[in-house]
Amino acid sequence: MLIACALLLASCEDVIEVDLNDADPRLVIEANINIRVEDDYVNSYVKLTTTAPFFDNQVPFVENASVHITDENGLVYSFTHAENGFYISDFSPQENIDYTLEVIYENEIYTATTNRIPSVPLEYVEQRDDGGFSGDQIELKAFFTDPAGEENFYFVTGSSERGINRNVLNDEFFDGNAIFALYRADDLTTGDNVQFILHGITEEYYNYMFILLQQTGAGGGPFETQPATVKGNIINETNPENYPLGYFRISEISVLDYTVQ
Amino acid sequence: MGVNIVVPELQTGTVTNQYGFYSITLPKGVYEVIYSTLGFTTERITVDLSNNIKRDFTMKTDSQSLDEVVIEANAEKLNIRSSQMSANTLSSSTIKKIPVVLGEVDVIKALTLLPGVTSAGEGASGFNVRGGAADQNLILLDEATLYNSSHLFGFFSVFNPDAIKDLTLYKGGIPAQYGGRISSVLDIYQKDGNNRNYQATGGIGLVASRLLLEGPIKKDVASFLVGGRSSYAHLFLPLFDNDNIAYFYDLNTKVSYNLNENNRLFLSGYFGRDVFKISESFGNTFGNTTINLRWNHLYSDRLFSNLSVIYSDYYFGLELKFVEFKFDSGIRNFNLKYDFSHYLSENIDLKYGLNSIYYKFNPGDVKPTTVTSGVNEFKLTDKYAWENAVYGAAEIKVSDNISVNAGLRLSTFSRLGQSEFFLYENDNPLLYNEALGIYEKAKPNDTISFRRSETIKSFANLEPRLAVSFLLDDDSSIKASYNRMTQYIHLISNTTSPTPFDIYAPSGKYIKPQLADQVAMGYFRNFENYSLEVETFYKTVQNRLDYISGADLIANNAIEQILLNGEARAYGLEMLFRKNTGRFQGWLAYTLSKSEQRTPGRTAAESGINNGEWYNAAWDKTHDLSITGSYDLSKKWTFGANLIFQTGRPTTFPEGQYEYNGMVVPVYEARNSSRITPFHRLDISATLTPSQKTDKRWKGEWVFSIYNVYNQKNAASISFSENTDTYQNEAVRLSIFGIIPSVTYNFKF
Repeated sequence: MLIACALLLASCEDVIEVDLNDADPRLVIEANINIRVEDDYVNSYVKLTTTAPFFDNQVPFVENASVHITDENGLVYSFTHAENGFYISDFSPQENIDYTLEVIYENEIYTATTNRIPSVPLEYVEQRDDGGFSGDQIELKAFFTDPAGEENFYFVTGSSERGINRNVLNDEFFDGNAIFALYRADDLTTGDNVQFILHGITEEYYNYMFILLQQTGAGGGPFETQPATVKGNIINETNPENYPLGYFRISEISVLDYTVQ
Repeated sequence: MGVNIVVPELQTGTVTNQYGFYSITLPKGVYEVIYSTLGFTTERITVDLSNNIKRDFTMKTDSQSLDEVVIEANAEKLNIRSSQMSANTLSSSTIKKIPVVLGEVDVIKALTLLPGVTSAGEGASGFNVRGGAADQNLILLDEATLYNSSHLFGFFSVFNPDAIKDLTLYKGGIPAQYGGRISSVLDIYQKDGNNRNYQATGGIGLVASRLLLEGPIKKDVASFLVGGRSSYAHLFLPLFDNDNIAYFYDLNTKVSYNLNENNRLFLSGYFGRDVFKISESFGNTFGNTTINLRWNHLYSDRLFSNLSVIYSDYYFGLELKFVEFKFDSGIRNFNLKYDFSHYLSENIDLKYGLNSIYYKFNPGDVKPTTVTSGVNEFKLTDKYAWENAVYGAAEIKVSDNISVNAGLRLSTFSRLGQSEFFLYENDNPLLYNEALGIYEKAKPNDTISFRRSETIKSFANLEPRLAVSFLLDDDSSIKASYNRMTQYIHLISNTTSPTPFDIYAPSGKYIKPQLADQVAMGYFRNFENYSLEVETFYKTVQNRLDYISGADLIANNAIEQILLNGEARAYGLEMLFRKNTGRFQGWLAYTLSKSEQRTPGRTAAESGINNGEWYNAAWDKTHDLSITGSYDLSKKWTFGANLIFQTGRPTTFPEGQYEYNGMVVPVYEARNSSRITPFHRLDISATLTPSQKTDKRWKGEWVFSIYNVYNQKNAASISFSENTDTYQNEAVRLSIFGIIPSVTYNFKF
């Protein structure tokens, strides 16, 4: 619809000055645990930042929090601050075990529980040179096969120096079939390297990312939906009103590198 | 619109109904009777009444005018006596004098110049009446329901101005004969074809061209009318150089047949489509279809009846070649109406009738378009419903200065059997996760199939309507009204204004009908050449649907899992000051109003939407001022101008940002708590009618117009995002129409 709107001859866009209100800062927790299945390589990090006024150039890091993950059997994995709000550990989650993240920041305790979500391998990339709405863009499709008879949700990123595409997918209309993730970027040319990463995710995370992606895309116009701040799966146990933003997720991933032909 | 029939000696009169029927009771004697209506020559005839007579009368077109549509808003003297208030009539004449964007005469754009009528903004579909949502307007074209009133996503309306005879918009005090939508009724009638001469009317514009042919099939007995309009396919593709097309077309047809003096038949139809294609990858088609057969029958001189059998449907189709699937959806209904106008005595007119509508809702059908497509065929479950109503209303002249219209409508709605009906634990399709403070879809715990003859859920509602007028003196009156309205079908839409994607869903086990109560009061006064109307209203709506955050409405087979029940209210003050006669005509319309919505949690623990606080409706405009005027300089030149000022529409701004997964995400303030910048605009037009011999059949005129003369960059929206080059967050204003000059040639022969 937005495309149709953009086609109208007289419309124009310009950057304007707007006075915005500034809300009090909240803690933002980006707890991503990615397990590459083929070689069991695990990338675990918890990134802590806070919200900032909208027009600020940077968001502040949180360096003085305590971060750890406890499994359902009571084993504790501590995360230590590396730099710029990144907390790391050699934590390696197993299947079918619940893990609880605990962050203590400014005397408030934040927790979230999740488990490891399986994924499937990315298989191959298909390239078209007549893609896009203008018909002359390079367009890549990274294919994978959805397991039949169950509901699956995916988060896919495609990235190159031309830009990052993020997408969430579900198999409602594609159950058991080959599904693809699309990658498009302005000026994508022969020789560019594009890396696709497919993450297995929960239905809740699918819903969460679905809204975030809507809110970070170019919105506006009569077709925009009513935006609202999205809450993730992390609770402030000490003071529920001061809820955090962000998510705790454990995903199996599949990585596929492709060089544009 | 009716023809006014006035008997000056007795200071009495009446108005014809939509089909031109009237009945008036007078003492014996000789009277002068005046027949008048806008756009037609006023006629005076003398009748000698010694017994009952029947007088058929054909109004002659005011031969001067090629402009076929004028807004007439309760301007006639008689209307201060009628108990009907909050109604504006638009009829044959000057809409064409109102300057419009790209020179396309537009009925809905003209309506929004009236008090109490707004739209969410330039390029927004539909219109909003007295703070109501766009899906709360009942839009009738020759009594058939239209589900989408816009072409090209709201830039143009679906009505071909040449094919329209007249229309009336009821904003309040809605008569009992109408039901099914809660905010307003827009009742549009197509012209009858000319039953004496063949005639062609048309126009060539920058965006679209139109041609309408009419004439007798059998002189004085049967006539036809067929009109077509189409925009130019390749107009909207300056950005790309390949096969993108965006166009619309519509077709209006009508056949009228006078069987004899007591029976008339009408067959009318409308077909409209919008088509978009973007290269080979994206295709989209949508539009309305209606077919309608009506039979007017006079049972006696005092009892008029109209029986209508109506089919209407709305279709939306989408094809995405690059995902190799297509999607079809729509709504279809069969409608039977039988309406009676009964002129019981000099002081009492009755209206009564019944209405039965059968609905089929197709929420969507997904089909792969290639054998290699990864899409599985998927059919969203069709839904069925049956809506019935009976009504009665009496217009009573209580005394010389008091008229009362009291009506009652009984409406019922039955949700009929369907396959794949979901059941949930505790009948609750939407769960609340108290710990996280978010709503989550429930999983159905059972799925059952009903036979079509079974009723899953039914509703019945009594809808009282009351209108009173009190004549203060010969030139002024006060009026008051109350109406209750029920709406059983809901447009499932969570965008600022409706989109063609939006589907209607029927009330049922999980969705309750919307109920509206409106009270209105007004003061009406005629001066020599001016009229003044001041009205105030208060409206409440129960069971207004709201949607959980991020709800995905497209191809959703379980809409109930994302819905919450809310309420709405609106109130305001409207003023319309008009000059109705003379070389300069026009009006000043001002509305001060508020429209809000609230969706509290179902229990104390739930957050609801926006923490259960009242928030502004997306179309709420505190101040809305329109000035429009036209000036006849000479036989050759006519000038027109509009000046519009509106408070900016509500929107939700960020009050912070954060980083997540490498994205910059806004933190939003409370819903609709900010506003975009105020909207203002000046448009002008000039119409040139080259001098021509009166006996020449061909009549032509040039309409030159400039929309948004001082090129105001009005914001249609302000969006907030990270600049992809500088990585700096910024606010981006989208303005749709800058200054747009245009020229249109209209003709008639």
